[in-house]
Amino acid sequence: MLSKRRTKWAVLPVATALVLFLSGCSDLELRGYLPGYTDGFVTNHTERVTNLWVYSWVVLLVVGIIAWGLMAWAMIVYRRRKGQTDLPPQLRYNMPIETLFTVIPLVLVVAFFAYTVRDMGAIEQPVNSEYKIQVVAKQWSWDFNYVNENTFDSGIQSQFVGQKGSEAGLPVLYLPVGKTVEIDLNSRDVIHSFWVIDFLYKKDMIPGVNNKMFFTPERVGVYKGRCAELCGEFHSMMLFKVKVVSPAEYATHMADLKARGNNGQLGLDYVRNQNLPGDNPAASEG
Amino acid sequence: MATATATMPTTGRVRKTKGRVLVDWLTTTDHKKIGYLYLITSFTYFIIAGIMALVIRAQLAAPGLQIVATKEQYNQLFTMHGTIMLLMFATPLFAAFANILMPVQIGAPDVAFPRLNAIAYWFYFFGSFIAVAGFFTPQGAASFGWFAYAPLSSTTFSPGLGGDLWVFGLALSGFGTIMGGVNFITTVLTMRAPGMTMWRLPIFTWNTLVTSILIIMCFPPLAAALFALGADRKFGAHIFDPANGGPMLWQHLFWFFGHPEVYILALPFFGIVSEIFPVFSRKPIFGYKTLVYATIAIAALSMTVWAHHMYVTGSVLLPFFAFTTMLIAVPTGVKVFNWIGTLWRGSVTFETPMLFSLGFLMTFIFGGLTGVILASPALDFHLSDSYFVVAHFHYVVFGTVVFAMFAGIYFWYPKMTGKMLNERLGKIHFWLLFFGFHLTFLIQHWLGVMGMPRRYATYLPEDGFTWMNQLSTAGSVLLALSMIPFLWNVYITARKGAKVTLNDPWGYGRSLEWATGTPFPRHNFTSIPRVRSESPAFDLNHPEHAAPEAKASAKKD
Repeated sequence: MLSKRRTKWAVLPVATALVLFLSGCSDLELRGYLPGYTDGFVTNHTERVTNLWVYSWVVLLVVGIIAWGLMAWAMIVYRRRKGQTDLPPQLRYNMPIETLFTVIPLVLVVAFFAYTVRDMGAIEQPVNSEYKIQVVAKQWSWDFNYVNENTFDSGIQSQFVGQKGSEAGLPVLYLPVGKTVEIDLNSRDVIHSFWVIDFLYKKDMIPGVNNKMFFTPERVGVYKGRCAELCGEFHSMMLFKVKVVSPAEYATHMADLKARGNNGQLGLDYVRNQNLPGDNPAASEG
Repeated sequence: MATATATMPTTGRVRKTKGRVLVDWLTTTDHKKIGYLYLITSFTYFIIAGIMALVIRAQLAAPGLQIVATKEQYNQLFTMHGTIMLLMFATPLFAAFANILMPVQIGAPDVAFPRLNAIAYWFYFFGSFIAVAGFFTPQGAASFGWFAYAPLSSTTFSPGLGGDLWVFGLALSGFGTIMGGVNFITTVLTMRAPGMTMWRLPIFTWNTLVTSILIIMCFPPLAAALFALGADRKFGAHIFDPANGGPMLWQHLFWFFGHPEVYILALPFFGIVSEIFPVFSRKPIFGYKTLVYATIAIAALSMTVWAHHMYVTGSVLLPFFAFTTMLIAVPTGVKVFNWIGTLWRGSVTFETPMLFSLGFLMTFIFGGLTGVILASPALDFHLSDSYFVVAHFHYVVFGTVVFAMFAGIYFWYPKMTGKMLNERLGKIHFWLLFFGFHLTFLIQHWLGVMGMPRRYATYLPEDGFTWMNQLSTAGSVLLALSMIPFLWNVYITARKGAKVTLNDPWGYGRSLEWATGTPFPRHNFTSIPRVRSESPAFDLNHPEHAAPEAKASAKKD
């Protein structure tokens, strides 16, 4: 056991090391390795998620270090010495301690739940949005329907065969910065999931279900998006990009799409689940 | 299978012809032999699915690789890796340990229904083979992921025969599991030796009972769901059609089974380490009753959390499932601190079973922490279906099942075979496995946070995932190498290992299996010591340190 005097001597180097360590932390580490940027948050939800993530990890790591520390302490201090033949006291119960390690985690869990409810409520809150976009997933790419402008863009799957530069061919979803956006998520065949990495959010696209997400993009930039739910052979090729641009540039892009003849919407008229096998079992057995 | 089983030592018996040994194993209703059959079969599947994992890791070692010819084959590999590891390795491994140990721990000569026990094994054997046999069909095995989400699992999107074999094979094997559950519950409730009250059951037996109750609650819904999917695939039923909400119906049915299944995998292995910590700390388990209540609480809560796998579907009541999921952390934390409490002020030694148990505890604590993170929908929206989840469940499931399996094998090997495994090779095995495991899976947390989705056959060089995947692949090689010292250990022990005749070769065994012959006699006991606490063998061998109730009863005699 450490005596009081020795503890005093230990405080100084430990504190110095801690300060040095924390001040040496890069921005990435302070974000808990979550994707992000130093010049602002990507959507109006990412700050909230990042904070919950960082503080949850701090508390959990403290709990973890206590548990690992007690374990290591027991292994070192209570190891059986050479030549020892007696047995330790056969302690079976200690109610105060057991109550303690039931109640403290319970309190932590309730607190964590409270913050979770606050944040997920804010993230999932429907907003009457200025821009409405329908994203339709299909094996293995995406169609973007810009509802307000009545135009669309249709993507093809990634053509990646091993070299760099394949990202240029990916479909791009344009979003206006600083505007409230509603994205309606639909699927034309199997379940997919719409995940823009830097938005720290994904939502499934389930055939027959209308899912929605609401947010405001707050930082101009290009972000990666991926399908996150297994959807068949080329699941890993179902990539896209999101380009958050100024409203003016957004309008220009809409005009470009229209100039290309993309008038109207590529909606759910093309759903492949309308004629499933089984209507004529004998034929589908084939 | 038969040739492998024939190598199991049959010490102390008259030498028989090979044919007789084979018939003996094929027709046995002895719970220990059925347990060994389960153990060998499930371990074989562990190796097979482990090799699949190596191919998966090789494919991901660099962007754009073509280790497997098509991405469809890659999907088959991870689908069958998951299916085999969960339903053909870990679940039957529970049946293996429960069969071998539980009747001995309660002082019974066999399980309640020995023939049901045998048919349960053979259902598992043939059901698993049918599911895996998809690899021998032209289009290959099932490729829709082990949770077979509708409508990807329909014949429109997955027309192959492999999918049909998967559905019906798992249904058959599931009935074996249900029968095992019924059998274990009946055995624990009706076949305990005199004096073996419920509060004197070893923790492993308690966990076997609770696990079996979970099995009979959640495997029947799976069987129903599988038959419904089979009807869709073979008879043109429309149960899981998108038009009538089939995709969400399947997810609910599947995860109503799938989440308790995780605890079916975990609880028995918690039981194994709960047997091992006291022996090598030379102390009784700390907070026996609290531990049992915690197990029951975990099992009860595990039936209420299934939709936390479905946070991102937008179709579930998030606060309810978030709260029940977070609550599970409390009884789980209680268990962790009970195990640490068992070490506390003990007299701790580090034989191989103890090393594996401590490795389990260290790994499991981290898996628990990431589990709490994932319980929060606000954070899960980002992490769901990413490598963070892959890393989390490997920490929990590999950390529990594999570490505790090896702990249990080293621990009870003398009781099963009459020989001790080599300690030196055991320690080499442990350290290789430990470092290999953490090297493979720790980095995957970062991969997931950075945005790598699970089940991706490849990724782009621009993604910046390359070095992390390479580290993970290198770790998986180390992990695979750790099997060599183990298999070598089993081999040389069978060839040259010294026979053990002590009832309790570890010296501080507590439950009844350490009070009977090594290896187990045919009907487990020639005599049973008095059961006056949860540690009858310890009370017998160390009367001066016996439990107070055992001492009191000894005085009365």
